[in-house]
Amino acid sequence: MKRSTKRKLKGVSYQILAIIFSIFMLLPIYQALITALTPSTSSWISPAPLFPKSITFENFSNAFQLVQRLPIYLLNSFIYGIGVSAFSLLIAIPAGYSLARFRYRLRSPMMIFVIYANMFAPIMLLVPLYVIMKAFGLINTYLSMILAGSVFTIPLSTWLSVSYMQTIPVEIEEAALMDGCTPYSIIYRIVIPLMKPALVAIFIYAFITGWSQQFTLALVLISNDKLMPITQGLYQFFSRSSVSWGPLMAAILISTLIPVTLFLLVEKYIVQGLTSGSIK
Amino acid sequence: MKAKKSTPYVFLLPLIVAFGLFLVYPLAKVVMDSFYKFSFLNPSHKIWVGWFNYKWLFTFKLYSPTYSYFIGALLKTVIWVGGSVGLKIFLGLGGALLLNSEFLKGKKFYRTLLIIPWSIPWAMSAMIWYWTLNGQFGLINSLMIHLHITSEPFAFLGYPTSAFISTFVVDAWIGLPFMVIMLLSGLQTIPKHLYEAATIDGAGDLVKFAKITLPMIKPVLLTVSLLSMVWTFNSFAPIWILTRGGPVTATTTLPIAIYNTSFRYLTFGGVGKASAMTIFQVLLVSSLSLIYIKTLRGGES
Repeated sequence: MKRSTKRKLKGVSYQILAIIFSIFMLLPIYQALITALTPSTSSWISPAPLFPKSITFENFSNAFQLVQRLPIYLLNSFIYGIGVSAFSLLIAIPAGYSLARFRYRLRSPMMIFVIYANMFAPIMLLVPLYVIMKAFGLINTYLSMILAGSVFTIPLSTWLSVSYMQTIPVEIEEAALMDGCTPYSIIYRIVIPLMKPALVAIFIYAFITGWSQQFTLALVLISNDKLMPITQGLYQFFSRSSVSWGPLMAAILISTLIPVTLFLLVEKYIVQGLTSGSIK
Repeated sequence: MKAKKSTPYVFLLPLIVAFGLFLVYPLAKVVMDSFYKFSFLNPSHKIWVGWFNYKWLFTFKLYSPTYSYFIGALLKTVIWVGGSVGLKIFLGLGGALLLNSEFLKGKKFYRTLLIIPWSIPWAMSAMIWYWTLNGQFGLINSLMIHLHITSEPFAFLGYPTSAFISTFVVDAWIGLPFMVIMLLSGLQTIPKHLYEAATIDGAGDLVKFAKITLPMIKPVLLTVSLLSMVWTFNSFAPIWILTRGGPVTATTTLPIAIYNTSFRYLTFGGVGKASAMTIFQVLLVSSLSLIYIKTLRGGES
């Protein structure tokens, strides 16, 4: 076989493989789209048609009638996202400064503990976190979700902060120290302005995590409908005995617009951060 | 940098306080609580039971004549994690190799497609998948019937084995974009001239993969696999939403068993028993973390 035909054949077969792979990845998204875009009555045809016969947007307006608190759930998730990222930044920035710039006895064990802490998931601490929050009277409060949620974003945030700080030349800070700055004023006069890209990455990472992945924590920390994050709010309608799939899928699609758009905007930073964080 | 001895500790203090209050203290509490009997409804009413909760883990049976509820969950977790992580590595490496190939057109487009499933909250992905896998109206059944693979619709989440497989496939779907993107960035660090030299020497694709690609991305592959394994061990929301651990106990992995024992099985469960289970979860994850940290350290030196 000629080399050029071989190359062409390879190109075609790779393209086919990539398409099959994409179909697998997009299958549920396509499912959500067609269910949301077809009239509710046609959700109940078996086998379901692969392509919608008629398109309607009624499910999107019905979504707000089915899930009446949809805007409130979205607002709650926004609050959890902001809260979690604020806490993560507040802790990760000074910790990153300390771990990247100073040599002291606690440094190395702390770095290892940060990596170890990144392995924790809500399910491992669900029971004690519930008991602790209950003891403080924090069940059904925004604060409990923000505090508990931050526990799981602080490790990677700190790691990102340390690795970014290590790329900033220390000379600027040393010069500032010579000029009479204290380490405390250096952090907000020099370090924070220089760390802007890392700040943005940490903020968005923690925001998306706080916005999206609070389902397990909310299951035990929140029972008040008015404080539920979007995932738990929609789950109520999902776990009913008869589910209105059209409006529910529409509600899911509306809600995912926020993290998907954010993610697409900052994907580059997150991937850079993740690769510098876990791949050395 | 020169400063007072206390300075680094001052900056580290918030982290120490946060970890202490919400990580170390809860962990210590899990250990303590595993020796008591109490319900989450009334956590102040505790009764010391010694090692009873641990004995209970190995003796209490639920719907299974052979294994205890806990041992059954532990075994299922291992197989489930193996299936999910196996898929993530296999498909993740395949996807990354495709996206790294010079023969593929429209790489940016495919990359962007990958980001979308990554950024959907897990709980919502699981809800959509539940409907996609629906035994009558779901897209998977519809696809299989239209492609003449099957003639009758099949309730994927209705039978033990198919539910078990479906849940770990969905979990793999959720974790796949991370895997592809990470492995892709690993592949991109391999210098091109290695391949060029191998081509001149007449090496085929398989030889190049085995002799260049695999050894070069081995460190990345190892760390990413370990990380993914830990996350998969902790996976709760996807299974909970798809099957709640059922049918019967077919998809009851350790996280599901912990949740059920503490918050659902109020008559025979309890926080103490769930805490004893949690200890095993923590030990499992900790031992994997230890390997992970060792490989990271090994990579540094």
